[in-house]
Amino acid sequence: MKLTEIQITNLYQFTRQHFVYHYDVQTELVDHLANDIEGIWEENPKISFEEARDKSFKKFGIFGFMDVIEAKQKQMNKRYWKILLRFVKEWFTLPKLITTLLIFLSVFCIVQIPFAEIAIVSVLLILAVFEMVAAYRIRKKHKAKEKTDEKIFLLEAMIGTTKNSFTGFTFLHLFNFMNLTKFDFSGLNMYWLLLIAAIVTLLIIFFYVANYVLPQKAEELLQETYPEYKLVKNV
Amino acid sequence: MGNQKLYKGSLQTIILKLLATNDKMYGYEITQKVKELTKGELKITEGALYPALHKLEADGLLNVEVAKVGNRLRKYYKLTENGTKETANKLEEMQEFLKTMQHLVNPKFSLE
Repeated sequence: MKLTEIQITNLYQFTRQHFVYHYDVQTELVDHLANDIEGIWEENPKISFEEARDKSFKKFGIFGFMDVIEAKQKQMNKRYWKILLRFVKEWFTLPKLITTLLIFLSVFCIVQIPFAEIAIVSVLLILAVFEMVAAYRIRKKHKAKEKTDEKIFLLEAMIGTTKNSFTGFTFLHLFNFMNLTKFDFSGLNMYWLLLIAAIVTLLIIFFYVANYVLPQKAEELLQETYPEYKLVKNV
Repeated sequence: MGNQKLYKGSLQTIILKLLATNDKMYGYEITQKVKELTKGELKITEGALYPALHKLEADGLLNVEVAKVGNRLRKYYKLTENGTKETANKLEEMQEFLKTMQHLVNPKFSLE
């Protein structure tokens, strides 16, 4: 006996109830449960769908789908980093290398100005506020998507919201850190200033790629990562 | 049924070896195949299988293919080029391990 379309939909809902929110992870689990249920039916055709489903779910152990979700998250984190680095690397080859050098030189000049830390702290605060507003908007959009039951892939969620923590909150942390430690550039020698300028330049590039480049390329990246992406989104 | 704990460290090697002989497989198929080959002696639990598969995928040893089967999508795993190389390494390690255990557990009847 094969599972019906309605039962498959029920299995998708079942995984969601057990904290699997992303379509790619759900799909694999649904196929597994479906196969297992069909196997259970072969041995004992009288058992109901719900009973067979619960029996199959029990085989995942007391943590349910948690181990699977965690492993998937780790795998996707790795993948996200690889993608991020691939795009960041572009900024260290011509022609973008010129922009990178210009950013670096500007930062290096700015940190040498007296009271540069005040300017930097203010810029950080402004950036943090802008980012928070943007994050709030994305969150709202995301929630609307969840409500309409749209299929969200794990990598899609990462590109859209979490961004491996390259978000506005990091600006806020930096702001707090500089504010609390009363950071003072004037006491530092040239090597420190060069190092700081290099780190800031890198951070700017990472933020730019995570917040602007990747979201723009999302569609392309998702198709590259998920063979089923086109199949699913066109349905 | 033997002690499942003893098999735990070998899960990745088992998966790789299966994929080396079967080209492409999906998760449920792997659990069934192992059950069949070991005559029910080893049962891979679902809570261990998928994390292992995802880890192997993250390490670039496995590739994924998706196909529509009946009314659902099925995810197939396949060895990458690196995966094929790593399978050979892992199997060699396994042989070494078996030999060492043989020496330790049953020195009199060792093969050498």
